[in-house]
Amino acid sequence: MKELRHVKQFLILYKKQYTIGILALLLVDALQLITPKLIGMITDEIVAGSIDKGGVLRYGLYIMGIAIFIAVFRYVWRMNIIGSSRIMEYWIRNKIFSHLEAMSTDFFNYKKTGDLMAHATNDVQAVRQAFGQGVIMLTDSIFITITTIIVMSTTISPSLTLMALIPLPILAALVTFMGQKIQSRYKLVQESFSDMSDRAQESLSGIRVIKSFVQEDKELDRFSVSSQGYVTNNLKLVRIFGFMFPMIGFIASLSFLIAILYGGNLVINSVITLGELVAFITYLGMLTWPMMAIGWVINMIQRGLASLKRINEILDAESEIKDIEDNISGGVKGSDIVIKNLSFKYPKANEYALKDINIKLVTGKTLAVVGKTGSGKSTLAALLLRFYNITSGEILIGGENIEKISLRSLRDSVGYVPQEAFLFSTTIAENIAFSDPSLSMDKIETAAKTASVHEDIMEFPKQYKTITGEKGVTLSGGQKQRVAIARALIKDPDILILDDCLSAVDTKTEEAILEHLEQVMQNKTGIIISHRISAIKNADEIIYMEDGAVAERGTHDELVNLDGKYNDLYKKQLLEQQISEEV
Amino acid sequence: MTNYEEEDLKEKKLDFDILKRLLSYAKPYRFWLIISFLTIFLATGADLARPYMIKIAVDDYISAYDTPMRVYGSRDELKLAEAEITDNEALHETVASENSFVIFLNNLFIKNEPIEFSGKYYLRDEATRGQNAVQLLEKDKDYFLIQGDVPENSPFEITAGSVVLNGQIFETQQLSKDEYLQFRQNDMKGIRRVSVIFLFILIAGFFFNYLQVYLLSYIGQKVVHSMRTELYSHVIRLPLKYYNDNPVGRLVTRLTNDMENLNELYSSVIVSFFKDIFLLIGIMVIMFRLNVRISAVVFITVPIIGFITAIFRTQSRKAYRRVRIKLAVINSSLSENISGMKIIQIFAQEKRKMDEFDRLNTDHKEASLKELVVFAIFRPLMDLVYSLALALLVWYGGGSVLDGAISFGVLFAFISYVEQFFEPIYDFSEKFNIMQSAMASSERIFELLDEKDSMVEAENPVQLDEIKGNIEFKNVWFAYTDEEWVLRNVSFTIKQGETAAFVGATGSGKTTIISLITRLYDIQKGEILLDGVNINQMEISQLRKSIASVLQDVFLFTGDIKSNIRLNNMDITDEKIKEVAENVNADRFISRLPNGYDSTVEEGGATFSSGERQLLAFARALAFNPGILILDEATSNIDTQTELLIQDAITKIIKGRTTIVVAHRLSTIQHADKIIVMHKGKIREMGRHDELLSQRGMYYNLYLLQYKDASVGIVE
Repeated sequence: MKELRHVKQFLILYKKQYTIGILALLLVDALQLITPKLIGMITDEIVAGSIDKGGVLRYGLYIMGIAIFIAVFRYVWRMNIIGSSRIMEYWIRNKIFSHLEAMSTDFFNYKKTGDLMAHATNDVQAVRQAFGQGVIMLTDSIFITITTIIVMSTTISPSLTLMALIPLPILAALVTFMGQKIQSRYKLVQESFSDMSDRAQESLSGIRVIKSFVQEDKELDRFSVSSQGYVTNNLKLVRIFGFMFPMIGFIASLSFLIAILYGGNLVINSVITLGELVAFITYLGMLTWPMMAIGWVINMIQRGLASLKRINEILDAESEIKDIEDNISGGVKGSDIVIKNLSFKYPKANEYALKDINIKLVTGKTLAVVGKTGSGKSTLAALLLRFYNITSGEILIGGENIEKISLRSLRDSVGYVPQEAFLFSTTIAENIAFSDPSLSMDKIETAAKTASVHEDIMEFPKQYKTITGEKGVTLSGGQKQRVAIARALIKDPDILILDDCLSAVDTKTEEAILEHLEQVMQNKTGIIISHRISAIKNADEIIYMEDGAVAERGTHDELVNLDGKYNDLYKKQLLEQQISEEV
Repeated sequence: MTNYEEEDLKEKKLDFDILKRLLSYAKPYRFWLIISFLTIFLATGADLARPYMIKIAVDDYISAYDTPMRVYGSRDELKLAEAEITDNEALHETVASENSFVIFLNNLFIKNEPIEFSGKYYLRDEATRGQNAVQLLEKDKDYFLIQGDVPENSPFEITAGSVVLNGQIFETQQLSKDEYLQFRQNDMKGIRRVSVIFLFILIAGFFFNYLQVYLLSYIGQKVVHSMRTELYSHVIRLPLKYYNDNPVGRLVTRLTNDMENLNELYSSVIVSFFKDIFLLIGIMVIMFRLNVRISAVVFITVPIIGFITAIFRTQSRKAYRRVRIKLAVINSSLSENISGMKIIQIFAQEKRKMDEFDRLNTDHKEASLKELVVFAIFRPLMDLVYSLALALLVWYGGGSVLDGAISFGVLFAFISYVEQFFEPIYDFSEKFNIMQSAMASSERIFELLDEKDSMVEAENPVQLDEIKGNIEFKNVWFAYTDEEWVLRNVSFTIKQGETAAFVGATGSGKTTIISLITRLYDIQKGEILLDGVNINQMEISQLRKSIASVLQDVFLFTGDIKSNIRLNNMDITDEKIKEVAENVNADRFISRLPNGYDSTVEEGGATFSSGERQLLAFARALAFNPGILILDEATSNIDTQTELLIQDAITKIIKGRTTIVVAHRLSTIQHADKIIVMHKGKIREMGRHDELLSQRGMYYNLYLLQYKDASVGIVE
């Protein structure tokens, strides 16, 4: 029951629906018990000749009347129980999503998107099944089994009931046992299916090698083996699956056989009437389903619980990045940035990603960070936004340690343009106004102009209403980066961090953007991370990073004069430009 | 992971051309198909026999006690009469041939044997009704033997120890229970006999049911397997251009998910579909055989079923699609928001994104509840129709029993058959939907199968006995798409045994050249000659076998080291593998692996460094011992030690064969017989290393940039 801790709230909320549903279900089950009785009675009356055609019609009408009630209550339980379970699916999914929103970057580093999605769809559906179909089958199988057996043994014959029921527990055991077996074989089938998919995926990705080495025929053989493996596993599944259903039919029929053999003798011996035997056989028919259901329901609930466990694991995960209540001194009080003796190790990593960094940056000034991939440039930005907690040293913004600033206020005061310009699949305007959908079109356009993307946008047929992403227009890398810049600028933040966000923009546009930015940045604190020196030449201070530490620092001219690593990089880039500009 | 693609939701009406083409794949399994249809037939027969067995047990034994009986004074008299009856029955049979089916079944079970009771012999005979018959009766556990007979289902009374019906008093002898049971010992025997036969039918039914499911699944699996391998064989032969235009994922979907839909068609639809059809027809035939009028009354419900099912089918399909589409939207939103979680958090938009997600989730919930309504109405409604059929049966059938038109056992059989009739109907529409998805998938599969290979093999290919390795490009123009020229008017020759190096900036066209030599793409203008023969006139396989390529991005397959070197080619022995690996300096790191040459290679060769992968690719190329070697050097960082090993390997393997290098390394270039500098699709400079350097042109700059430390170059 511990597993239910997260869904308990929902169950309490939908107590009424479940109660009504289960009552309706029980009512249906009870009403269903009447029809066989009616058929039994009519049999005896016909045999005894004590009924006329009017009487027969009356019985027909009774059956119809009961059926109408049953139909209504069936509708009621379906809507209530299955309906609730479907609402539960919605409820859990929302809960997962809102929980994910509170999780730290580190959490997402270790959880694959695919897995998280699987939890939010497959696992949620398995839970839904357990709380919908599972509840019904459980109620049904318990209630029908008990009531039917009671009715059969009290109103017809206890000895006949006992005899005829002998095969049914075997049936339940068979379904339970085979159900598990089927599941494990089904898993094998799925595994060989994905094996086959992987094989195809891999070979078709490596088609160049295959063609170059003329390996088509051999490759086909390999794939054929894979496909054959899938066939074999499927047939293994069929062997047991195809066995189970006829077996269920066979075992259920054994009960009928016993009913005829033993019940027939009882009729001849006048222990029961023919009508009672007929009713008994009809009741037996009603028992087959719940006996099967017991087998299914065990598997279904097991699966549901396993899924619930996985969901609980997500819901129980806690973010290490959060506001510590008593520690919060309030919002951001300025935009001077001071970094003191900062060292940082990624969680679970052994090596330091940043080593003893010291930076002092006054409002209105711009710091540039250059260096090779993996030198720690982006890590520095991540720490300023508090995606991770600092290992040692401190970062002060406006004189306050960022751990004492509320996350909301910290992130509100920072405009950040990430390395990979992630846009949502909505309109361009909505992407730019991401921080506040109520921003006016004027402001959106101004931001787009500053980011030099306005003209690109106006060239799209739907202009600012253009949908980005797979289903709309695919923006070029440079366009995406510029939209992301506009998105950060529109916030008018006190601190602006550009994380290598001009890499896909051509030199001319880069210059234009930098020019615009210069004006915007006048009263802001700026940090520009770049691997391209042309983008940062004019920064007030440049640090060249290597292996997580500052290797060289100064202004552009100072660093060129130093003739160190910075200068090497600069010269190489000049040459590159020279070649690419040749016709 | 469920990944609902828009495509998966497409469906298609039954298309006979597609069906015909699908069926053609089942041809090799004709024999097994016939066998499986036979088993379906037998399995259905067994399923249909169950209610009939109960009918026989009830009519002929359990409630047969009041059948009028003839009385015979002695055994001889009985024997004489029995012979007569047999004749009569034979006569009767021919007259009533329309009911021969029923008679055939009856004869199988009924063994009417005489009962000896206080010296006389009693034999049941329905024909004797009203003619000197005696009859056994029971009322309230009292048993009577009367002279004469009362009609079936008559409400007789017992007055002063005599049976009285409508004022008629019968000569009555009250029997003790033991005496009564003496009359019924044959019935008990009969029930036992029916039970034994019943058991055999059940076993046979189980056997045939199992066999038919297995056989049809077997055929289905085989058919889908052969289609899948055919498709795969087709796909891997499609030209590389096709791969540029079509994402690999889509091709994989054809091979897997679309094929799976066909699989589903076999395993869920065909396997049970024919059985269901047989069963429905069988039930209708038996019921009409048993009694036409009652069947007609009961089957009034069939149009209602058809009507409801048709509505349900369209409604449920619509509702189901809505749910799937909404779920797909949720999935893509989830995937997007998880990927962009950082952005959401930085811009503090958690609340808004939550609301947005809630909206999508609510949409899905609503669609899901709508779907539920469809089901919540349909399923109880179908049950209601079943009850209607049952009520009609009780009313009309019960009336017929009262009229004496049918026996009670027949009515009971009817009740059972109607129940059986409704079973397959519940999931009929679902099967129909699977069929439609399968049709859509087949169409896509066939479309891909019909995709023509645009690369034409020469009709009478020139067979070269030996490839020497003279390569010539004559005014070659090439574009991947339309007229976006990647190569413009490129001409050069490389002589046998020479090493030519291509250099140039990214996008200069140097990598494209090596794809053209192996004819991975066809050029638009000009000619490529190998030993003086246009490569279009050669057999593609011969051409490619004579050239080995080591590509920049070394593609390693999942498997082991050996399989990655020999690539399925079993002619390359383990010894040969070791030899070539030693030759290219790969042996050292391989033998350090825990399982040496049998060490597994993970997907994409992720566990190997790029240097090691390069060495493996050298080994692969060398194992195939080609006349021409194409080498696209890796640019990525390689540690100095491995770099030395690679350099050494390169010098070894280029010796004595025509080699084309897309060069990034100093040593390769310096040893090249010819360096070709590419720029924007054209040859810019051509010559030896020192010649080009002294020209101080583009090569000089590239050389500074790529191969030497830039600062040194500039200072010079």
